[in-house]
Amino acid sequence: MAENKNNYAVHVRGVSKTFGSGLTAVAALKTVNFDAREGELLMIVGPSGCGKTTLLSTIAGTLQFDVGEIDVFGLALQKMTKSQTTTFRRQNIGFIFQEFHLIPALSAVENVSVPLLINGASRAIAEKKSHALLAQVGLEGRGHELPTNLSGGQQQRVAIARALVHEPRLIICDEPTSALDKENGARIMELLQRVARAPGRCVVVVTHDNRIFKYADRMTEMEDGRIARVHDIKDGQSPPFSPN
Amino acid sequence: MYHIALKMLLGNRSKYVVLVSGLTFATLLMTQQCAIFCGLMLWTTGSLQNMRSKIWVTDPKVEQVNEVRQLRDTDVGRVRSVEGTAWAVPLFWGLQQAKLANGTFKQIQLVGLESATLVGRPHQMVAGRIEDVRLPNAVVIDELAILRLSAGRAKPIGLGDTFEINDREARVVGVCRTAKSFFGMPYIFTTYDQALQFAPKTRKMLSFILAEPADGWTVEATARSIERTTGLRAYTEKDFFWATIRWYFRNTGIPMSFGITILLGFFVGVAVSGQTFYTFVLENLRHLGALKAMGASDGLLARMLILQALTVGLIGYGLGIGLTCLFGVLVLKKGEPPFMLPYQVPLGALGAVLFICIFAALLGIRQIRKLEPAIVFRG
Ligand SMILES: Nc1ncnc2c1ncn2[C@@H]1O[C@H](COP(=O)(O)OP(=O)(O)OP(=O)(O)O)[C@@H](O)[C@H]1O
Ligand SMILES: [Mg+2]
Repeated sequence: MAENKNNYAVHVRGVSKTFGSGLTAVAALKTVNFDAREGELLMIVGPSGCGKTTLLSTIAGTLQFDVGEIDVFGLALQKMTKSQTTTFRRQNIGFIFQEFHLIPALSAVENVSVPLLINGASRAIAEKKSHALLAQVGLEGRGHELPTNLSGGQQQRVAIARALVHEPRLIICDEPTSALDKENGARIMELLQRVARAPGRCVVVVTHDNRIFKYADRMTEMEDGRIARVHDIKDGQSPPFSPN
Repeated sequence: MYHIALKMLLGNRSKYVVLVSGLTFATLLMTQQCAIFCGLMLWTTGSLQNMRSKIWVTDPKVEQVNEVRQLRDTDVGRVRSVEGTAWAVPLFWGLQQAKLANGTFKQIQLVGLESATLVGRPHQMVAGRIEDVRLPNAVVIDELAILRLSAGRAKPIGLGDTFEINDREARVVGVCRTAKSFFGMPYIFTTYDQALQFAPKTRKMLSFILAEPADGWTVEATARSIERTTGLRAYTEKDFFWATIRWYFRNTGIPMSFGITILLGFFVGVAVSGQTFYTFVLENLRHLGALKAMGASDGLLARMLILQALTVGLIGYGLGIGLTCLFGVLVLKKGEPPFMLPYQVPLGALGAVLFICIFAALLGIRQIRKLEPAIVFRG
């Protein structure tokens, strides 16, 4: 395992990714350099189509990139085989999606227990831990509910519990609040901020939602497949720009 | 993860019901048609079950038990003198006309048993004694005959009643139980000598010779010995049974028409279940993609799909076999249509259902392998 330089949680150097080939080729990432640090909530912002989701997918290990190097907590993604990447995701990444992606046939507790089960935990242990996590996100006693019986904000909190239950070091969120109203969005972000501050953790959030910018520790602005600017943000302040 | 897989399956109520009923229907169609076919084949050997004998000696050209080529009377003596034969007796067997009380005619299968030994006698008497067939004009009829020959009578035909076989009076002295035969005609037992009186005279009247091996001889050895010495054909009971069934396979369209229905059941199962399971997987692709992103390996997802497919398969199979057995119980009470369920049929159907499930699961597994985990970030 490589040494973890400068407390980097994610360290991206010279990464490019092109979709398709020939005339229809789209260069989604153009020699991107990027990093996220341990203990921070980092936001990636930028206009639609600038490559935010693509960048997020590459560091989460769900998308292969063409050239460059990505280190996540010292693990070099470019050197991994497909099945090593699967194991990497299983152990290190917590996912939070815009559409929540809860499985409708499963209760909240069963949904939350999935990452533990994938990691080989027994059902009893997985569900016990999941109940505890649901309590932490304010859904104590709602574990037996099916997702359809929960509000959007509650569903996203179930999804957050699911992203945290196996104690991953990197939590990846793509537009976590865009399906939520202001109040629920704020609650979700407060939760994620707490998570990011925990030792050895890092939360990366892709968003368009300027209502939540204030929760970022740093903000990375993308334009046309490149990192344009990086801003440090003081607690409670708005960033010095408004994207889009 | 396996309970998760089952919950995902049960969570999609409509797909689940379609899958289970498709497989139930396929199992029912396959096993029920097989059972009717087996029953029908059993009927073709009805005579073998109604006139038990270890060895059947026939004309060399005879290929199955429902085919009669008369032998010479002297052939009985020749068979008796063959080494390895304990005894041999003649048997008359032929289709005859019975005239009913209302003047109509019905076909019957007349069986003439050697009168000293009554070898080939029915195993189960319902009324009267088989020995009484030695009385003048006496016959023992089976239960089917009561149904068929009672027309025009105030009461069903029974002990002491008379009817005519080819213009000769026959008097009922007993009723027996017989296995159904392919042609569905009643069995009428009498003695060999009286059978020759009932039947129109021809040059040769002997239908079969029934024989038994001597002590220390196997049936096969005695049968070979008879064939070698007399030039006649000697079937063991088992050989005659399978020869008869083979003959029906080769010479009738029955296996073909049943085979088509059975195949149809199989393909309906493949089509309905395969298609439904495939759409079930497609509908779940988003969730499967999320699982894949969260680090579920292709192998784990494949095992989950196989579990789901096998679950609906075994439930559908169980229901299908249950329905077939129910059908069988009802049928065996009535005696029609033919029905026999040897263990090979449910076993074969299980194989077919498992094949269907694995096929359906493989279609889904192919989708999973192609699935990019990155799709979970796309809207
Ligand atoms: N699988 C793909 N195949 C082809 N092109 C793709 C694919 N995924 C992304 N692209 C293209 O790559 C570019 C970057 O896409 P990406 O989804 O990363 O943008 P984004 O910044 O997340 O946009 P948005 O804010 O709308 O979500 C876009 O031009 C997009 O059309
Ligand atoms: Mg995006």
